Amino acid sequence: MADFSWDIRGPLDRALVAGAYGAQGDAGVSLTEIRNFDLVQVMARRGKAGETAKAAKARFGIAAPETPRAVAAADATLIWSGPDQFLVLSKDGRHSIESLAIVFAGSASLSDQSHARALISVSGDKARAMLAKLSSIDLHPDVFGVGAAAATSMDHTSVTLWRGNDRSGQAVFNLLVFATFAESLWHTILDSAAEYGVTIGHSEEL
Amino acid sequence: MRIVCPFCGERELGEFTYLGDAKPQRPAADAGEDAVYDYVYLRDNIAGVMSEHWYHGGGCRAWLKVTRNTLTHEISAVEPAAGAGAAKVGA
Amino acid sequence: MRGDQANRLNNGGLIDRSTPLNFRFDGKTFSGFKGDTLASALVANGVKLVGRSFKYHRPRGILTAGSEEPNALVELRSGARREPNTKATTAELYEGLEAASQNRWPSLNFDVMSVNQLFAPIFVAGFYYKTFMWPAKFWETIYEPAIRRAAGLGRAAGVSDPDHYDKAWAHCDVAIAGSGPAGLAAALAAGRSGARVILCEEDFVLGGRLLADGDTIDGLPASEWVARAVAELEAMPDVRIMTRTTLFGVYDGGTYGAIERVNDHLPVPPEHQVRQRLWRIVAKRCVVAAGAIERPIVFAGNDTPGVMMASAMRSYINRYAAAPARRIALFTNNEDGWRTAETAIAAGLQVAAVIDARPDVSPAHRSLASKGGFSVLHGAVAGVDGGKGGIRKISVSLSGGARAEVEADGLAVSGGWNPAVGLTSYHRGRPKWRDDIAAFVPDGAPPGMVAAGAANGAFGLGACLREGFEAGAAAARDAGRSGSIGSMPVADDEAFSLTPLWHVAGKGKAFVDQQHDVTASDVELAQREGFESVEHLKRYTTLGMATDQGKTSNVAGLAIMAAVSGKSIPETGTTIYRPPYVPVAIGAFAGHHRDENFHATRLTPSHHWAAEQGAIFVDTGLWKRAQWYPRAGEKDWLESVTREVKAVRSGVGFCDVSTLGKIDVHGPDAGAFLDRVYINAFSSLAVGKARYGLMLREDGIVYDDGTTSRLAEDHYFLTTTTAKAGLVMQHLEFCRQVLFPELDVQLTSVSDQWAQFSIAGPKTRDLLKEVVDPGEDLSNEGFPFMGAREVALRGGLKARLFRISFSGEMAFEISVPARYGEAMARNLMIAGKPLGITPYGTEALGVMRIEKGHVAGPELNGTTTAGDLGLGKMMSTKKDFIGRVMAGREALTASNRQVVVGIKPTDKARRLRSGAHIIPKGETPGPDNDQGYITSVCFSPVLDQWIGLGLVERGRERIGEIVRAHDPLRGEDYDVELCNSVFYDPDGGRQRG
Repeated sequence: MADFSWDIRGPLDRALVAGAYGAQGDAGVSLTEIRNFDLVQVMARRGKAGETAKAAKARFGIAAPETPRAVAAADATLIWSGPDQFLVLSKDGRHSIESLAIVFAGSASLSDQSHARALISVSGDKARAMLAKLSSIDLHPDVFGVGAAAATSMDHTSVTLWRGNDRSGQAVFNLLVFATFAESLWHTILDSAAEYGVTIGHSEEL
Repeated sequence: MRIVCPFCGERELGEFTYLGDAKPQRPAADAGEDAVYDYVYLRDNIAGVMSEHWYHGGGCRAWLKVTRNTLTHEISAVEPAAGAGAAKVGA
Repeated sequence: MRGDQANRLNNGGLIDRSTPLNFRFDGKTFSGFKGDTLASALVANGVKLVGRSFKYHRPRGILTAGSEEPNALVELRSGARREPNTKATTAELYEGLEAASQNRWPSLNFDVMSVNQLFAPIFVAGFYYKTFMWPAKFWETIYEPAIRRAAGLGRAAGVSDPDHYDKAWAHCDVAIAGSGPAGLAAALAAGRSGARVILCEEDFVLGGRLLADGDTIDGLPASEWVARAVAELEAMPDVRIMTRTTLFGVYDGGTYGAIERVNDHLPVPPEHQVRQRLWRIVAKRCVVAAGAIERPIVFAGNDTPGVMMASAMRSYINRYAAAPARRIALFTNNEDGWRTAETAIAAGLQVAAVIDARPDVSPAHRSLASKGGFSVLHGAVAGVDGGKGGIRKISVSLSGGARAEVEADGLAVSGGWNPAVGLTSYHRGRPKWRDDIAAFVPDGAPPGMVAAGAANGAFGLGACLREGFEAGAAAARDAGRSGSIGSMPVADDEAFSLTPLWHVAGKGKAFVDQQHDVTASDVELAQREGFESVEHLKRYTTLGMATDQGKTSNVAGLAIMAAVSGKSIPETGTTIYRPPYVPVAIGAFAGHHRDENFHATRLTPSHHWAAEQGAIFVDTGLWKRAQWYPRAGEKDWLESVTREVKAVRSGVGFCDVSTLGKIDVHGPDAGAFLDRVYINAFSSLAVGKARYGLMLREDGIVYDDGTTSRLAEDHYFLTTTTAKAGLVMQHLEFCRQVLFPELDVQLTSVSDQWAQFSIAGPKTRDLLKEVVDPGEDLSNEGFPFMGAREVALRGGLKARLFRISFSGEMAFEISVPARYGEAMARNLMIAGKPLGITPYGTEALGVMRIEKGHVAGPELNGTTTAGDLGLGKMMSTKKDFIGRVMAGREALTASNRQVVVGIKPTDKARRLRSGAHIIPKGETPGPDNDQGYITSVCFSPVLDQWIGLGLVERGRERIGEIVRAHDPLRGEDYDVELCNSVFYDPDGGRQRG
């Protein structure tokens, strides 16, 4: 019998080269790929929005977003992804589809998206300037504050965009992109960011 | 053009796909060939205010009924399709 | 005067005399200063001749100082960066700038084609339409190349542009086009009220006409007021000032197009930077403060180098400290033109005469004339004596009928001002005529937009400031901003008096449109020949159709048309205005999307593994798919593909099929939902089973096919074809949300979640035994044909296994979460090594499906019914489904339809080509005898010959018949036999094995 290893290969494993990219000097854009997360799409069934909301509140301790927002629970982020649906982003199997299936049985349909997306976190002085090349969403702080989310498109590709908590006084924008598009979009992001100088890294931390 | 998605807010045209006249209703299974023929082929093409189906495929994937003036592109109303966001029905 | 810049004035100007810049024009080296445009630097160096005209190759100089320039067009830069038709009047000077004049051969001074001038009488309006009509075959071979050589607007670089362009979005409350007095005042009011403001200025300095016309605002010299205003705006965090940026178009819903020339002022963009950026600005309100364009008066010889707009002369003298001439004559029909005489005298230049078309001039101007020692002639310029060396003499016809001559080397012309009505008219708006200023002004504007200042016909400085400030304040208010707007800037309004004068009759060519060489007599000819409507006039004479879009010529042209047709100017009307306001490079519209980034690409989970194996990839929609895996020594693709097919048919192979669309269909009504979208039933499908499904469009034509499995009572896993994945998702959402909202069903795309592989061949089970946990039963009993369920793999990973076959072999499809996709490919190679496992690509996949007679894209071509594909029996009669009623129509069920059939050449050695038409034996090829065509072909390794599928009239009833395959495209004609479409294992024993 052959010896198998089930190594994981993320969609950006080859394209992402940690370090500096583009213009030299202080990097205006910081790009971090977040690897190995659990992502479950929760869709309320017909007439079951109330039950789904109750189940979510009981599980996460916070209300799931009913408008384009992302809310942080103790060990998960719930991101609005469309009418009557949201994504549960978590780590280490704490909210895997198997465990959530019990929580939402009868009230919502679940679909595992853990491998369907890549997660890229964008920050830096020039994050908004760079994202303006990709996104038609107005990211002005008065309009797109902490916790704002959008189901939108970049480079004609669907993405989920939300603003996380600020880090060291800087806004953090998170992008969930489709895995098979990720490498192509990554190159487009690098092209867009190159003039500002980029630092590139990856992390397992949400 | 920009469309105010009832779920997402105002978005640019590129996120949406146009389908066409939203007036015709799919006939019942026993309505007969003439009714289905009308539904499939007979479409109004109004120079003026029209109710249209648009799909927010580049956003929340909701189907929308958009009331649009085809001469000025002015959009006077946007409503979700009956089955978009219907989880709240009866909730 | 200093050095080689002989016409540079000693003092003044917004140029940085401490930063000299060298540049080359037509190979000759000159110098200028930072702050110059190419045009101002040429003026400073006394260069008057800068190009040859489009049609007659007449010598031309610089007419304006802005983006309306029709004449001073040059090829800027060289090599791959060479850009034709660049306006010298807006090109910023930089060290090492290289420019060349256009439309001359061999040189600007001696241009062979200027003999065209001798033939001028034949180059009249409509010349091309009248002359080069017949024979038609001469068009592409003789006429067009000759015309292109003779006439033209510079040469394209001919090679790929090495620079980058990008596109970006911007959002604001108030967008302002133009930073003259109205624009700055609007920005101040809007910015102070707290609005988010974007101020676009096409120049590289803010200020507009204030840079050239020294005025007083709030008691300060204009330049100082501008500096203070700009400093105040720059301190506002939500005000964005964009210089070198032209707002060029307005689109629905408050979206505006703007082009930013980010690095056009440098020889080469700095590393990682773009040359230009296209902006899409979303603004709640827009204030158009784009100013006005001074208009010429049409007279004989008005294109002689040295004739210049009066306001442009002021720009060169005041802003650039460059003297366009030593002895200047002024031809004006209005008060404003006189400012050029004042400016010239203040700069120490001589004024030869002022020719004023009005009956009288003000006492102030009379005293200026006597102080300046020049005469005021009441009349009009009737002709210019001069040529490529400039102006020598100007002849004047005086009001009384007498003639006079004026010696001068420069002629400033002012025919009044035309508000820049482009932006306000782009939504098919028609500007309205105002008699008091003899000009068209905006008559309304697209929603959210308002014009202010000179763009609105307010020509006084005080009025510009007032209108701009009020428009800025109102725009901010409308956008919900209510901060204090402070005090309004104040200035006096200049006197305004104008007597309209468009055209001075006289001998010699009088140009209306200088860029397209359209003369006043061309306009008159067009009227005589019946092209009286302005839209006809435009197309017949090409008036206003050059890259300057007639900014200096359109109104004069229609005024002349009005005069000759006996109508008023407003009755004659304007043509339709269309964006862009200035030419925008296609590269800017493309932005990042060029070459390998033309569109986004999708990679399969095993892509990088396949690349390591040396796979050849094919673009399939957005996907890169492995097409075949060549091995050393194989001479062509056919050899590789044939090897792959044989390996599968005799052993085992695998192929990444992750590109199929995959959709989770959830909910209590999932089965009922699928019953309505597929022609066959799915509610009756048992959990753990898969079924092939066919979808129709509502008109009865086949839409898509695929295999759908029931994984749980309320969970189906649906697959689509690669090509239709997105469209099927959209269609299913339409069914769910619009057609059948009563059904409780939820849809999610899981295309990217799963890496899916097809494993096929008689040794498939032997391979799977190595991969799948030994506890899983893969026998025919434990995992029958069309079974579908989750299995454990060795190592504990969970996978989904589907016993489905596209190849006709014993086959499974296996799905693992996508990040395990590459490991799956590697593990299959390891486990399959003893079995001779062979990865195969889309070509081998295609060969095997044709051998098996499965239909695919070429047969699901948007014209075929289920019956045509031989799948009519799948149509359920027990339920309603999309397309059911229309599929029953007479024409779609007719017995003579073209249906799928197998095709074999009678000569076994012959290659088949898809696209060949099927003609009955003995008939003449043509529409009457056309019975269908070959849709798919391949070389079948099993049969050792080319085979195909076709759509042929009554094909299934004609098995064994010999027909003609007629291929006029490739010049082939041969006999083929119609046969059963299932060439391989017709009983299906192998896949059920």
